[in-house]
Amino acid sequence: MASVLDNGTLRRTAPPGSGSDTRTRDRRKRRDALAATVFLTPSMVAFTLFVIIPALGAFGLSFFSWDLFGSPQWVGVDNFTRLFKDAQMWTSLRVTVEFVVLGVIPTVVLGFVLAVLINNKMRGMGALRILYFAPMVASSAVAAVLWSYMYDDRAGVANRVLGWVGVSGPAWLSSTTWALPALTVMMIWLALPLVMILYLAGLQRIPADIYAAASLDGAGRWRQLWSITWPNVGPTTILVTTLQVINFVSGSFEISLIMTNGGPLGHTQSLALYSYQVAFHQTEMGYASALSLFQLALIGLAVGLFKLLSRIRRSA
Amino acid sequence: MTTITAPAAPGRRGANWSAAGRYAVIVLCGLIMALPLFYLLSASLMSQHDIRAYPPHLLPPKVVWHNYTEAYHFLTARVIVNSFVFSFGILLVQLVITIPAGFALAKIPFRWSGAMLAVIVVPMFVPSNMTLIPLYVVTHQLGLVDSYAGMILPIAGQTAFATLLFRQFFSSLPAGLIDAAQLDGAGWTRTLVSVALPLAKPALAAYCSISFLTAWNTYIWPQVIAPDHEHAVMTVALAPLASGQYTLMSPSVGMAAAVISMLPVLVVFIVFQRWYINGVVGTGLE
Repeated sequence: MASVLDNGTLRRTAPPGSGSDTRTRDRRKRRDALAATVFLTPSMVAFTLFVIIPALGAFGLSFFSWDLFGSPQWVGVDNFTRLFKDAQMWTSLRVTVEFVVLGVIPTVVLGFVLAVLINNKMRGMGALRILYFAPMVASSAVAAVLWSYMYDDRAGVANRVLGWVGVSGPAWLSSTTWALPALTVMMIWLALPLVMILYLAGLQRIPADIYAAASLDGAGRWRQLWSITWPNVGPTTILVTTLQVINFVSGSFEISLIMTNGGPLGHTQSLALYSYQVAFHQTEMGYASALSLFQLALIGLAVGLFKLLSRIRRSA
Repeated sequence: MTTITAPAAPGRRGANWSAAGRYAVIVLCGLIMALPLFYLLSASLMSQHDIRAYPPHLLPPKVVWHNYTEAYHFLTARVIVNSFVFSFGILLVQLVITIPAGFALAKIPFRWSGAMLAVIVVPMFVPSNMTLIPLYVVTHQLGLVDSYAGMILPIAGQTAFATLLFRQFFSSLPAGLIDAAQLDGAGWTRTLVSVALPLAKPALAAYCSISFLTAWNTYIWPQVIAPDHEHAVMTVALAPLASGQYTLMSPSVGMAAAVISMLPVLVVFIVFQRWYINGVVGTGLE
């Protein structure tokens, strides 16, 4: 994130040759300010209307009870106290945690390994990379149509493939045990291309001479992977993990909504999905906002914890 | 074999073998990643009977092309057109508002640019489902529910990514170039349109491919704001199939519809792959 802010620092001086006398400089300054205002206004209006107001709105709404049509009723912190008494909230919290625990680490590790694998200049790599990035073109709707059929207990290929190794698979999406892991596997598949792309960029920033020095010191390829490559992509790992925590907490709800609608028996209903249903089926906008704020706090907590852990490990 | 070039290559004796092995692993993993999509293609060509067979077929025993005609009738031209209107609408609106914004933040010296940049960056890390509810409320208050404007404008208004992308690109242009144009007496608009923009093709290619792909694949927003057939996009039309509504229709037709909906983004992705990846990486997300 730092590079967004630090590189390309603005030139605060007027272009050379514009004359040192203050009158022209003032006029130039005014002209710059006018141009900047004109250039930025449309974008800022849209941004305010559709990003800032909604963000503040989410916060504000959570103190009201509102069905979208009547006038909002101030209820103070009732929505937040209700959270903790709501059994469905606790179930969906557990589902959310399960999505994160099952999903994030495999996505990050697999993404790293695959990125290392395709980070070379062999012939035909360009075409091969398209295979790796292919899931990127699938929308969640396409993926859902495809995978829900692959998970079918009789006609689905998932169980056929498992059959080859002697496993007889369950009816994935209607099993209270297996629906969530099944959705997680599919989400990992969908998320891997982006993770690989980010890691590839990270890998290509590692200077080649570090490796040369290491192999002179007699470090083997695996040793290099663990002691040079992995620590050197640390910043990427933090970024990727943050994005994936958000993805599995929040992005997962689209998949559950399309494929299982939170079922069977609420076993794939994450907080995000629960909040969506409270908002758009029960039209309780206030409580739904409180749920999503609670979810944001959880993401912040998870990301903060992760950053803390990685700092401790580094200093140990 | 032993030469003085490439002194640092480890284990050169087995290099040919290990290179071949690596290559095999790379191809194999790539195939595994793409396998579900190959299956999608294969299933879209199966007959109604074959796709329901037990044990399931991996390849169609008999290729049935007319699944695609049926899929087209299921999707309808209207829905396909809606997807294009939605995606291009977002792309164009955002392009028009974010190019000048990115340019101003990169090249025009003024007091608030740092603060504005900070405001733009933060929401990129707020989960989208969180703002869904208030965004719906805002759109509802504006009276834009069930309209193209309601589908397009709120998404186009999420300008953070595009603004940063263009800012990043324009920052990389040499200062001398802009100064020269200014010395020639060009105003900022002329400088942007006739000096900076013609050089911005890589940034435009990155933006257009990313934006098109993202918009095309968006499901939740169009579903929430305009689910009626008149405005439904392809993702909205496809989603109900995932809960197994195949009583009236063969699953293979559903698969064919999924393939149809993927074609435009597949083409865009293959053609623009390089710029797409540069754009994802190059916005300074890190």
